[in-house]
Amino acid sequence: MGRGLRAAFRALLRKPVRVRYLTEAGEMVPVPERYRGKITYDKGACIGCLLCIRTCPSGAISTTEEKKVEFSVFKCTFCGQCAEICPKKAVKLGSDFELVVYEKEGMVVR
Amino acid sequence: MAALAALLASLPAAVFLSLLFEGIDRKLHARMQGRIGPPVTQPFYDFAKLLNKESVFPSSSSKAIFASAPVIAAASSILAGAIPLASLVAGTSVVGDLILILYLLTMSSIMVMIGGSSSGNPYGAIGFSRKMVMLIGYEVPLLASILPLSLKSQHSFSYHGIVQSQVGMGTCFAFAYPSSAFAAAAFLACIPAAAGVVPFDVPEAKTEIVHGYLVEYGGPHLALARLAKDAASFALSFLALTLFFYHPPLFEGHASLGGLASAILCVAFAPAMMFLTVTVPRTVFARLKVGQAFKFCWSLPLTLSALSVVLSAAGF
Amino acid sequence: MTGETRELEYDYSRLVVPFGPVHPALKEPVHFKVFVKKEEVVDVGLRLGHVHRGIEALAETRNLVQAMYLVERVCGICSHSHTTCFVGALEEIGRIQPSERALYLRTLVFELERLHSHLLWLGIMAYEIGFDTLFMFAFNTREAVLDLFEEITGNRVHHSMNVIGGVRWDLDGRMVEKVGRSMSKVREAAQRIREIFQDKTVEERLSGVGLLDRGAAQELCTVGPTARGSGLKTDVRKEDPYAAYGALEGSFSIVTRTEGDAYARTEVRIFEIFETINMINEILARLPGGSIRPGETIIRSMNRVPQGEAVSRVEAPRGELLYYVRTDGKGGLRRLKVRTPTLANIVGLRQMLIGGEVADIPVVVASIDPCLSCTNRITVIDLDKGGAGEPLRRRRRKWPH
Repeated sequence: MGRGLRAAFRALLRKPVRVRYLTEAGEMVPVPERYRGKITYDKGACIGCLLCIRTCPSGAISTTEEKKVEFSVFKCTFCGQCAEICPKKAVKLGSDFELVVYEKEGMVVR
Repeated sequence: MAALAALLASLPAAVFLSLLFEGIDRKLHARMQGRIGPPVTQPFYDFAKLLNKESVFPSSSSKAIFASAPVIAAASSILAGAIPLASLVAGTSVVGDLILILYLLTMSSIMVMIGGSSSGNPYGAIGFSRKMVMLIGYEVPLLASILPLSLKSQHSFSYHGIVQSQVGMGTCFAFAYPSSAFAAAAFLACIPAAAGVVPFDVPEAKTEIVHGYLVEYGGPHLALARLAKDAASFALSFLALTLFFYHPPLFEGHASLGGLASAILCVAFAPAMMFLTVTVPRTVFARLKVGQAFKFCWSLPLTLSALSVVLSAAGF
Repeated sequence: MTGETRELEYDYSRLVVPFGPVHPALKEPVHFKVFVKKEEVVDVGLRLGHVHRGIEALAETRNLVQAMYLVERVCGICSHSHTTCFVGALEEIGRIQPSERALYLRTLVFELERLHSHLLWLGIMAYEIGFDTLFMFAFNTREAVLDLFEEITGNRVHHSMNVIGGVRWDLDGRMVEKVGRSMSKVREAAQRIREIFQDKTVEERLSGVGLLDRGAAQELCTVGPTARGSGLKTDVRKEDPYAAYGALEGSFSIVTRTEGDAYARTEVRIFEIFETINMINEILARLPGGSIRPGETIIRSMNRVPQGEAVSRVEAPRGELLYYVRTDGKGGLRRLKVRTPTLANIVGLRQMLIGGEVADIPVVVASIDPCLSCTNRITVIDLDKGGAGEPLRRRRRKWPH
């Protein structure tokens, strides 16, 4: 009982634990360097080898008419396999974690 | 007439204070866990939200009892909170109203319990039997701890009489006599059980029996059942403060304001009482089992209250 | 039989309390049919399969790389255990030897995962006994470990650490330092949690509850901390070392308790936290140099896995995890079988629950650390009766030999 009491009063006197979502300036909190967020795609660098489609575990990647690919973020599981396999580093997993959109179109990366 | 007006005014005040006290309790509870916690006004939002929801009656329930139980429960515990407030403000009270207050608190527990058992839900049935055990556990020491006060205040069972006898003594009961000091300890030890918080929340233990007797309630009926609980813990902490810790130099208000000032002072200090008897236990303890909770009630509080009764009868 | 005993058999005071699939004490769907007499449990029926996901069948339609990410999603808490086990089987079939550094890093994430899983479990246990404050403290401590995961692998839950023949993310000096710093903080916090768990009120709730003696634990094939709490000295990390556990053998010991109750299982996990922290420090100190993964793309590694079969075992935080993998030699899977630790432990629950109190049910169920979404791979369907089994019957096929 004594230990629990001591721990509880210590917590009472301290600042409560808080994980911020926005910084003081109102921007998103920074994420670690390796964070796997929303996919970014450099279409110019893409050579259309389609290796990413072959290894994507969730079928989130599809081909387009111009022999490039597009990514459905709704299906993406953020494993980062496409970014890893891409020989031209055209695909990256960015730092954007706020995946809320009004139009579904916003969740397709072309 | 003035007393009746005070009582009528105290009813909404008791509702307001019950919800406010729950908010304070939740905030302090959260801070002791390292959380930010909900705003103090959260119980008001919850109450208002639940009032706007629909009440669902299970088909296996006996509807009349199921629906009326929380109403009676809330009414009786609000009344139990309002009577002390009103008698402090009006400076008068009825003979034997202390018995009435404690009876109303028990009534509130029993009504919620009956309502839960009439829901036809097995969890409600288990909650009923557990609450029954708890009632037997804490009622005896709770009532016994009042006896010494009555003995020390000319055999009065009037709430205001007991408060006034502390004014007459110039000190509060908790420090006046050994017997009343033990009684104070017994009363405080009973509050967590009577308010039904962890470690004594066995009748509604959410991880075991899914809030027990509250399991089928929803909407306005749930709001009232929860209000009944809040009002009970408000009434208990207010009673504990005024019956045992009404230190006249501290609480006797300015003469021109009379009873209202001391009532406001008591309300201002009551959260400290609640923090000690409700918030701290529910923060630092794990939930007991029924048997353990019963054993606790019949060991520490009962010994203390028995001791205080014996001491006061012997004249200490 | 006399009339009197028969009367006892038809006891109408016997109440059936449904426990789950939706219950605040259980965060995942499982259904216990608990027969209660007053406060005593007289019998328990168990039903699984509410969230059967068909992952094994799904894996057979994927290639090995895709399946690797799929099995990671069998469990949210021991995700790295699943990939390590799966990749271990593939490496055995393909005779691929990862580098020393890769094995150490795999082990590091594995132990961090054990740390966060045990801390999570301590929190859940505290919550079950109504001790919300301890729950908050435990989860706050766990947060530090999850932040490390985010830093090291980029994700808090599904780390995607393993590739065939290595690992994906390396640790630089700054990160090694950071992990070390976090470990000393976690150790301090875990010490406090341990002290609160030694509190009398907590002990009263847990000791003597959910008894499973050594013989029963062995007979029912329990694994992991559940078995170790009953005095069985079993740990895959020692018995069948995988990853870098062979090299690290001296830096950890198997924690066992002989009481076989919920408190013993709690103690086993608490002391395992300290063992794990020691081991992580050891790994950081001994981290060998070198590359972390083969120089080829993962598709080439995948194609180098020939036709074959392997059984792989790892010691997941909840106990022994077993994979049977059969590859088709063309980068795909013929058959995948997963035996999660909870499936082995959940059988013991009936024995633990009977004779206990209703108040003890959540404590006992939580004490085996059930991961039910892992376990919900069993569902009993009577194919001959049709009905719900009909779609499955259509998909029924003969396994290739």
